Amino acid sequence: MGPITYFQGAILGLLQGVTELFPVSSLGHSVILPRLVGWNIHQNDAYFLTFLVATHIATALVLLGFFWRDWWRILKGLGRSLRDREIADPDARLGWLIVVGSIPAGILGLTLESALRRVFASAESAAIFLALNGVLLFGAEMLRRRAPQTSDDDDTRIARTVSWRGAFTVGAAQAIALVPGFSRSGASMGGGLLVGLSHKDAARFAFLLATPIILAAGILKLPELAGPQGNGVRGPAAVGAACAAVTAWISVRFLMRYFETQTLTPFAVYCLCAGTACAIYFAV
Amino acid sequence: MAQYRKQLVWLAIVLGVLLIVVAAIYWAEPARSLPSFFPGHENGSTHHHVKHGIAAFLVGLACFAFAWFNTGPKKTAAA
Repeated sequence: MGPITYFQGAILGLLQGVTELFPVSSLGHSVILPRLVGWNIHQNDAYFLTFLVATHIATALVLLGFFWRDWWRILKGLGRSLRDREIADPDARLGWLIVVGSIPAGILGLTLESALRRVFASAESAAIFLALNGVLLFGAEMLRRRAPQTSDDDDTRIARTVSWRGAFTVGAAQAIALVPGFSRSGASMGGGLLVGLSHKDAARFAFLLATPIILAAGILKLPELAGPQGNGVRGPAAVGAACAAVTAWISVRFLMRYFETQTLTPFAVYCLCAGTACAIYFAV
Repeated sequence: MAQYRKQLVWLAIVLGVLLIVVAAIYWAEPARSLPSFFPGHENGSTHHHVKHGIAAFLVGLACFAFAWFNTGPKKTAAA
């Protein structure tokens, strides 16, 4: 039997698909759950990192598929802007906002990921940071600015509302998710609210911003899945990836509707309660 | 203002070239052979800091993109 069973792969995949997109920390949950149910899986084990590569790529491909029309427009806009040497239309501007937002997240991720993972590897710290993630979401709700009411389409509205500095800040905020317990989507949605986006637009911008980062991180580690490190994990990883894809698709559909009318507050309450409860449980 | 912008463009180009060179050094040299002021330098280590190289390369590209947009033909506003 491999280090991860097919059943564990399926459960972790289902969990990954949901928690990567809900603002509740996928890494935190994938650290806490094995400890809660007594599985001998640790986030610093090489095979587990290899497993996560597959589920992350699946999630990124789902996001790419869900927003493929937006990405097509954005890519055409980027091409037009490079040709004309001018960022003239909203699609081009949104594309460059995503580039600007991806730079701090990418650099911090590339340079700090291993070190942070080593330092904050335990389920205890993940539980505490999950509770703090709740505080962060509460804070974003309290400090959010009123979003402008316009008749523009979603992407145009985002492109007009977010400044270059705002995109950089939201991108940098994503890097907090390198610490298990903090949520990437939560940080970028919270950042989006602080720069004046509505909940729906903040979620949309967070998902667009997350796609290249998650995909690049997955592709960068793909050789590990194909190499000897992937021995005994590829089967469960494939099952996990399929499960992650299904729940990621359901999650993104749900969240895009949910944030038309609702806020981050329920997720903040969940993170605060679940994180505190787990921290107490692990401590006693 | 135009002079300031021109200086900024030159700075971006120089920085871009430097960062691409830094990226190449990260990819080519093991950690023990990196200059001691480079993040990741480690005596005796044979590890290649590929990710540091990617980060430097991407920021270099961003510098070039900044210079590209700021040296484009000026558009006149429609009457």
